[in-house]
Formats: sequence, structure tokens, C-alpha cells
Amino acid sequence: MKQLQRMLIIGLIGILGMTACSPFVENNTIEEIAPVIFWYIKETGDGKLKISTLAPPLVKEQKRLLTQEVHLLKQGGKEFNLNYYRELKNGQLRMLLLDEKISKKGIRQLVNTVLTDPAISQRLYLVIVTGDLDDYINYQLTKQPDLDYFLYRMFKHYEKQGDINIVNLHQFMKKLYSPYADPVLPIFKANHDNFSYEGTALFKDDRLINSIQKRQDQIFQLISNNYYLKTLALPSLSVSLGKVRSKVEMALNHDYSILTMKVKLEGRIEEYLGGKNIRDRNQFADLKRDIISYLEAQSRDLLKDLQKSKVDPLQIGTLTLTPFSRPMSEQEWFRHWEKMQIKVVYELDIQPLTKVMR
Amino acid sequence: MTSFSLYDKTTSFGSVYTVFIMNRIQVLYFLLIMPSFLVHPYMIWGILTVGLLSQINLFLLSKWFHSRYAGGYQGFVDLLGDKPVRILAFLSLGLLFIKIAVLTLGIGEIVYQYIFPSMNSNWFVLFIFLICYYIASQGMEKTIQFVVIVFFSTFWILIAFIPFFFPPTAAIHDLYPLFPTEWSRDSWRGILFIGSAFSGPELLVFLAPWLKPKQTILKSFTIANMISTMEYLLLFIASLFFFGSTYLNKIKFPVIDMIRYLQSPFFERIEIILISIHLVVLVFWLSIFLLYFYGAARVVVGTATKKTTRLGFLISWFMIVSGVMIVNEWFWKSGDKQILLLNLQIWFGAFTYLFVPVSLLAVMKWKGRLS
Repeated sequence: MKQLQRMLIIGLIGILGMTACSPFVENNTIEEIAPVIFWYIKETGDGKLKISTLAPPLVKEQKRLLTQEVHLLKQGGKEFNLNYYRELKNGQLRMLLLDEKISKKGIRQLVNTVLTDPAISQRLYLVIVTGDLDDYINYQLTKQPDLDYFLYRMFKHYEKQGDINIVNLHQFMKKLYSPYADPVLPIFKANHDNFSYEGTALFKDDRLINSIQKRQDQIFQLISNNYYLKTLALPSLSVSLGKVRSKVEMALNHDYSILTMKVKLEGRIEEYLGGKNIRDRNQFADLKRDIISYLEAQSRDLLKDLQKSKVDPLQIGTLTLTPFSRPMSEQEWFRHWEKMQIKVVYELDIQPLTKVMR
Repeated sequence: MTSFSLYDKTTSFGSVYTVFIMNRIQVLYFLLIMPSFLVHPYMIWGILTVGLLSQINLFLLSKWFHSRYAGGYQGFVDLLGDKPVRILAFLSLGLLFIKIAVLTLGIGEIVYQYIFPSMNSNWFVLFIFLICYYIASQGMEKTIQFVVIVFFSTFWILIAFIPFFFPPTAAIHDLYPLFPTEWSRDSWRGILFIGSAFSGPELLVFLAPWLKPKQTILKSFTIANMISTMEYLLLFIASLFFFGSTYLNKIKFPVIDMIRYLQSPFFERIEIILISIHLVVLVFWLSIFLLYFYGAARVVVGTATKKTTRLGFLISWFMIVSGVMIVNEWFWKSGDKQILLLNLQIWFGAFTYLFVPVSLLAVMKWKGRLS
């Protein structure tokens, strides 16, 4: 009798679950959906957004680039579905590629939209693109069908290793809201047949205002991002340093008028094409001195540029915080930062890797 | 049909059970939303201070547990008299209902946001209470035994937060300024919130007949309180590291968002699994609350000494479920009234935690002087 009762109840619940009375409305049958990996967002000029993505992302099937012009980001997601036989889901969204122009106007609202969607991971990569990515994808698609996936793997690779500034959604948001830090994002340049790293985009609040180009970006990687560079190429001195690790110490003086930055580098000379005999101790010391003064000058320029743009991606402002004192306001900090004097000191521990030179 | 008795007492439970039961009520819901209420790093001291104050409160409560009045319904009648007990039971029905509603809907909100955004949230209420009905109808003893499973299946989740204490996430400047440079109304609100978060031990008063070793009860209270304080500190500091103070107050469910950020090689959305596991705690306490509710209702009606009936229990279950659904439809779903309900629970929680031990002790002292 009791068994029968139980079975009846379970049966009832089962029927509830299977019929129209079901509490689940969304359908995630794998054959009917297409979880896309990236969105590329551009501005069309008349206040509209142009959103592109590649579909289908997983199935072995001819891929194609889908493009929509819409007013809202989510509206774009909806329009895609109405234009394509599978429903595009954003649960696997890994990259948000933003055009340079739209970033200059501010991306807070766009990024917020993505952030508030619980389906989208906080590890979503944010990337700035100059040039036309649609063009690149359309051209490459025939040669390389899994393009979107490879792009994602590339970001993931460099996120761990450094060398390139890879920033995810959470890191961006944390810096955006922190009073003493400004977010940065990587810039890539796309044209007909290339997609290449250009440097680091600097943000003031949520607007892109400037960028660090390749040569100085190396320095930026050393003093801020991963404190590691696989190769530090210094063409003007005909030398490449390899496996460079850095240790950075920054200090402000008591009235915040001087910033002292000490950088300790460790690495090895992996390539030398210059005229000095680096087996000779004196000449090697000369080279070392050259490298140091070059790096110091570059770093100083970099910091000056940051000052000029009134941004603080290195989070130098956090040095003013102490356990007891009242933190200064953002404006106050930037007043100090703008007219701060900068001292950069490099220390270098390097060895030539071979004995066969000259 | 076998006899349906809910409040039988055949064994009594050791001090470990007290620790588990008390600790899990303290970390049931407010732990999940706490960081965005406290926000400022100096609230670390707030947690520690309230933890200490809570200890004093527990000391008072343990005094009552040592007395001869700690014996369920009859004990209360001896202490307060029949009429006042019935009035108090009636009042407590209301408080209990608010607590049940806020806990269910609050955690239901998380489930709704992260796991089933397209589902009508009343389904969640129904399913949770169906499970609770099953557990509670096994009787008080079996329900109390369930706490062991509850504790060990949820306590380990803390390990997931350890990565946040290491660089690159952790930077010491996220904890600055560590001492308050100004004190505003929000700070008081934070303190009140922590006070309410630590509430729950006063509910153990009604479990007194089942909790055996009266001599060691203070020790169990202390351990449970320490574990809760530690959990609150751990999660709060981790969330400060992860979000930073300014970003933190823009996040609705910081703890869940932190879990979302973790990566696992097997499964992408860890938070779905962990939220589901945490629901076990909710199920446990709702089952206890169901039993409380039915018990209190029997006291009010005046049938406390008679046998429990399945029909009576079913009616009180039905009242709670439909009540919670009505609250969900009328108040919770429109976001602005949600905060009102939550504030109500914050105030009531802090109030009962402060009021129950002190007043029990006061009445005891007064009674002692009288006789």
C-alpha cells in the first residue's frame, strides 16, 4: 500500500516534469544550439552597434561570419537567432573584441551588460581591435576554419605566460572601479591577412585614450604585467636578452613629489650582433651599462607618457594607502601624480650564454 | 499505518551535534551576501567584535541550558506559565514565518539568478519544501541526525576560497585602511547586519530536550561560534582581495561570483554545483523550522501534550508553503520590496539573538527570587 503511494507520487512528479507543466522553458539540445566563442563589436556611425560572430563554432560544417546592426548588445544576440537555423548561446563566450572607435567613447555599459549575464564567464577576455576584423575573418575562413578557437587558445596561452597583456572581464572591472588604478587592455591590429599584437591600450575611466606601442610595451610588461619576458629585444644595442625576470620596487617620498622605481632584472644574453667582445670583462661592463641606461631612459619615458595621459595603470596610487590614514580621493591622487618627479634605477644581472663569441 | 510521532525523544545528542547545528544556522544565508553589506576593510574588526559579543550572549544562553527549565514545552510552562507561553508561541509563529520566507526566497533568488533564470521561482519553493516535508516527517531525531551529513557536505567548500589569498589576486593594499577613518550610519548598519548574521543559537532553546550534555554546552557553543567567525572572516577578506572595497559594493552576490571565477578542468560552472550543495543546509534548517512551526502551532491551539497527527503537520506545511509563495509573488519578485523584507529579517534576527537569552535569564532570576 505504502509502496503504491510512493510510486504514484513519483509518477505524478515525472508527468509534471515531462509535460507542458514543466518549470523549464529553455531548450539546450546540443543539435539545436550553437555556443559562440566571441563577439566582435563595432560602431556603424549612426549610433548603432555592428556585432559579428562565427557560427557554428563546434560542428564540422562550413562556418560563416554572421553580422548584425543593432541598437543593443542583447538585441544583437536575438537577431542572430532569427537569422540562423541554430540558436546562438552565449554561455561559452570567451572573447569580447571591441573596436577602437567604440572604446574611445567608453565601454562601461557594454561591459556591464556582459558582466551581469550569469551565463557569461568572468574570465571573458577583453581585446581592443584596430582595423577591420570582419575582413580578416572572411578572408581567413577558407584557409583556417577553426579560427575563433585558435584565437581563444592564443589569448589563453599568453595569459599564463605574460609577454602580452591579456586582461579578463573581472580584472578590467576591478581596476575600473578602483580609485587608484586604471584598466589596460591589449590592442590587436587586423587587416586583410594579419591579426597582430600592437601593444597596450590605456584607459582613463572607461575610455581608451592612449596606447603603449610595441617597443615600450616590453618595458611595460616587465614593470607591471607578469614581471617576466621571454625575450627582451633591444635592436638599438644589437642585443637580445632572454628569460628576463624582473623585480620591481616602487616608493613614494613623504609628500608624494618623487617616485623612485628600482627594477632588478635577471636574465641572459641570448644574442649579440654588436661590435664589442663580450668575453672581455671591461667591454661586457660597457654593454651592461649601455643596456641599463637605455632601459632607464625608456622606462622614464614610459612613466612620463602615463603622467601626461593622466593615467595610472601601474597602481602607483596604492602606495599612498596605509592601515591608519584616511585614503586620499582619486582627484587628489592624480593631482600629485601629474607633477611627480620620477627616478628610475635599474640593476642588471646578466650572463652571456656561450663562450664562442669572437 | 504506522504511528506518526514527530517529537519523540529516545536518545539525546552529544556536543558535536550542537556545534554542527549552531554553526550551520549562522552561516546559512547571510554568509553569502555579507561582503556587499560590510564593504569596508575595517569591518574585519566588526566581525571580530560581534563574534566576541556573541560569545557573551552564548554564555548567558548556556546558563539557561544548565537550569532545570531547559526541557522543552514543560520547561517553558514552568518558567513562564501557560498563558504567556501560548502568547509567545503565537508571536514566534510570525517571526518564524518571516525567517523561513527570507531564507527560502533569499537563497531561491541565488538559485534563480545563477541556475534556473527561466524558471518560475515558485517551483523552487515547492520542491524545496517537498524535500523538507519528507525529512521533517521522519521526526525530530532523524532530522537532527541529518546535520552530520549537512555539515560535512558543505564545510569543505571553504577550501575553494584559499586561492584568493595568494597573488596575483591578493594584494595587501586592498585591506587598507584597516581602521575606520570615519563612522557613518552605514557602518552601524554593517554591525547590525553582522549581529543578525550571528543569530541563530537562540533557536537551539527549543532543541534543548534533545541536546544532552548540559555541562559541556558552553564549550560547544564556543567552538561553533569560533568556526562561524572564522568562516565570516575568511570569506570577507577573500572577497576584499578579489573585488577591492570600491567594486565590492556594486556586486549583489560576491561569494557566488568568486566561485564563478574559479576554474576546473572538468566542469565550467562550479557555482551551480556548489550552490546546489549549499541548498542541503537550507533543507536541513527548513525541516527543523517546519517542526518548530508545527510545534508552536500546537502550543497556540493548546494541543501541545496530545499526539502529533499527519493532518496537522500537513496543514502547517501547507500554510508555510502557500505563505512563502504569496510573499514571493507580492513582495519578493518586485525588487524594491525585497530589501524591506531583508531589513526586517536583519532587525528581527539581531533583536531575537540579543533578547531571547537575556530575557530568559532575567525571568529565571526573577522567578528564583520569588520562590
